[in-house]
Amino acid sequence: MTTPDPAPRPAPAPAPGDPRGAGPVEEAPEADGTWKRMHPVTPLVRGWAVLAVLLFFVLQQGGGDLLPFGGDEGGPPREYVGVALLIQLGLLGVGALLIAAWSYVTWRVTRFRVGDEVVELRTGVLNRQHRRVRLDRLQAVDVVQPLVARLTGLSELKLEVAGGSGSDVSLAYLRSAEAQRLRRTLLARAAGVRVEEGQEAPEAPEREVLQVPVDRLVGSMLRSGWTVAVALVVVAAVVAVVATGSPGFLVGGLPAAFGVAAGLWGSFSRGFGFRIAASPDGLRLRHGLTETRAQTVPPGRVQAIRLSQPLLWRGPDWWTMQMDVAGYASASSEDAGKATVLLPVGTREEAVRVLSLVVPDPGVDDAAAVLGAGLTGTGTAAGWVDAPRSSRWLDPVAWRRNGFRVTRTALLCRRGRLTRQLDVVPHERTQSLSLEQGPLQRRLGVATVVAHATPGPVTPRVDHLAAPAAAALLAEQSHRAATARRSAGPERWMTALAAEQGAGTPDPSAGGAPVPTTGEEPAGPPAAPADAAAAAPEGAAEGGATTTDLDAGATPPAVDPSLERPGDHHGWARPDGRPGTPEGP
Amino acid sequence: MAARDDGVFDPEGVAWTRVSPRLATVRRIGSLISHLVLLVPAVVVAVATDTPWVVLLWLPLAAHLVLRLVVIGRQVAALGYAEREDDLLVRRGLLFRSLVVVPYGRMQYVDVSAGPVDRRFGIATVQLHTASAGTDASIPGLPPAEAERLRDRLASRGEARLAGL
Repeated sequence: MTTPDPAPRPAPAPAPGDPRGAGPVEEAPEADGTWKRMHPVTPLVRGWAVLAVLLFFVLQQGGGDLLPFGGDEGGPPREYVGVALLIQLGLLGVGALLIAAWSYVTWRVTRFRVGDEVVELRTGVLNRQHRRVRLDRLQAVDVVQPLVARLTGLSELKLEVAGGSGSDVSLAYLRSAEAQRLRRTLLARAAGVRVEEGQEAPEAPEREVLQVPVDRLVGSMLRSGWTVAVALVVVAAVVAVVATGSPGFLVGGLPAAFGVAAGLWGSFSRGFGFRIAASPDGLRLRHGLTETRAQTVPPGRVQAIRLSQPLLWRGPDWWTMQMDVAGYASASSEDAGKATVLLPVGTREEAVRVLSLVVPDPGVDDAAAVLGAGLTGTGTAAGWVDAPRSSRWLDPVAWRRNGFRVTRTALLCRRGRLTRQLDVVPHERTQSLSLEQGPLQRRLGVATVVAHATPGPVTPRVDHLAAPAAAALLAEQSHRAATARRSAGPERWMTALAAEQGAGTPDPSAGGAPVPTTGEEPAGPPAAPADAAAAAPEGAAEGGATTTDLDAGATPPAVDPSLERPGDHHGWARPDGRPGTPEGP
Repeated sequence: MAARDDGVFDPEGVAWTRVSPRLATVRRIGSLISHLVLLVPAVVVAVATDTPWVVLLWLPLAAHLVLRLVVIGRQVAALGYAEREDDLLVRRGLLFRSLVVVPYGRMQYVDVSAGPVDRRFGIATVQLHTASAGTDASIPGLPPAEAERLRDRLASRGEARLAGL
């Protein structure tokens, strides 16, 4: 499958330091780099747990057998014990040798190669695998550092592509600096910027959007349903102990307590130091206490977003955000839970800021009001379509909240009365739609509309709409979903702008200096074409929103309006910068 | 057909194509087999323990079988698909109805499959896959020629409108 390259590359401008000029983009997708191996320490970092267990075993066995040497009452004869110990140690030694040999062979056959168009990974000793991934299909690039890897200065580079389970390419482990360099190169190449062999890909400038303070993270966990459940269980246990006088109830609750503690620790560790930054490469997320993870999600790769607010977060008006990214669905479920969090906890103003980053163009004029009604509102305020009264039989608690709003760029679905939820799906990301109706729903004259996004935590649907409204939504939405893509940006996000600028090419050499590593605004001229491009009618008109803004920031010669724009671009916030006010009941 | 429907599952201007009625036969055979298979252990137990009434335990299943045989015909009649300019529509279900709309541009691949009984009766299933696991756009009961035509047509339309994910 070849990607239609929407940006035919103009003739490369002769530039100093680039004797070859820019080659054509649509070459045969051959990786032309050299084969490289992972860092030699990799097996140790991967298998440290096995090693630790083995060591523990040896020490325990050795210790246990050595102890009886002191006294000879009851124990087996000395020489017998000695022989047994020798045999044991010998077996262990052989086992360790075998494992070491196997690790070495595995490490030896695992090689990767990075080309202009593809990344190749060879793995496997008995079952060999040779995987080749097209860079323009890259959905996200993560740099993951588990604790042990961090101590040894290594990182895992994960390339996520859409596909079944296990479709990601994991380069583990590389030196951290090497992983960073490779990440930059891959992103630049995926974006359509040509990086010559041996030439350093520049780091795209980034603008920090927000950080999640630790105290708020802790607060959000204290206000979670888990905490309440724990408190209730503890109270119940204490009451039971006091009433019966036997401490058995406390002991019985220990395993559950451990489980909850582990869960809480997990979410704390994941959300610790959460930072979001915007760059021409897309969204950058960094987080983690023991295991750190730095994610880069290129523009247009976020398929759907969910904002939700548990009951106890209402006081401080905190929200959490999740996202669907096609690549992360293929990760193991545990991993996916770590990677799909867009914002662990944030104020409403922060959530709106992040939303504006991912879906820059709300597609409505009164975006703040629409968003406010979606987050907390009920009824038909701000153009929302709500569920009819008859649906109270099917959803007695939350029927007033069920509803949707279609803007020029996205479909918004809200639901939930206790835990409020709002899903935002850009039209060009809707995969398919369905209309469903069960027998009860038919009696009540309601139907459910489901928008299918790529696998992930966000599953947008609107329950129990009045049947005609549901049919109308399906008709309109299917049309929008089918047509929105025509104006959407290209897979290689940096090529769009180059095409619009005409003269420029995404080749760093053509633009003289590549994207600078600092975010300082260059004076005057270079900004002009970018602004023009950002204001270009096609793309901004319908559907192209997700890509327009960040693409605009993706101009190779240095600029990046996206770093400056949010100031004058209100996104989903009010013009005065305040987010929508609650319109709850 | 959705005659008594309020039109929710019958968008305006859509000409539905029905699937082959042979699908009903195939499904009836499948239903018959799955129900009769459960009769075997009942008979075995009845003979082995000399308790003939054990066979009666199968009666509820027999009732279910009769119901299935009747309903299958109507279910198959309710199945339909339509190729519009930009998307494919698939409609199914009597009690629990659903209508799936898949824009051609979102299509990742198309499957054509046919089991042994399907092949004997000359039908096949075409299934459209998007990047979403939720998309359930399978059209069973197509004559092989139509299945192939549909597959090629979907593939070519998808290619014309292809835009990555």
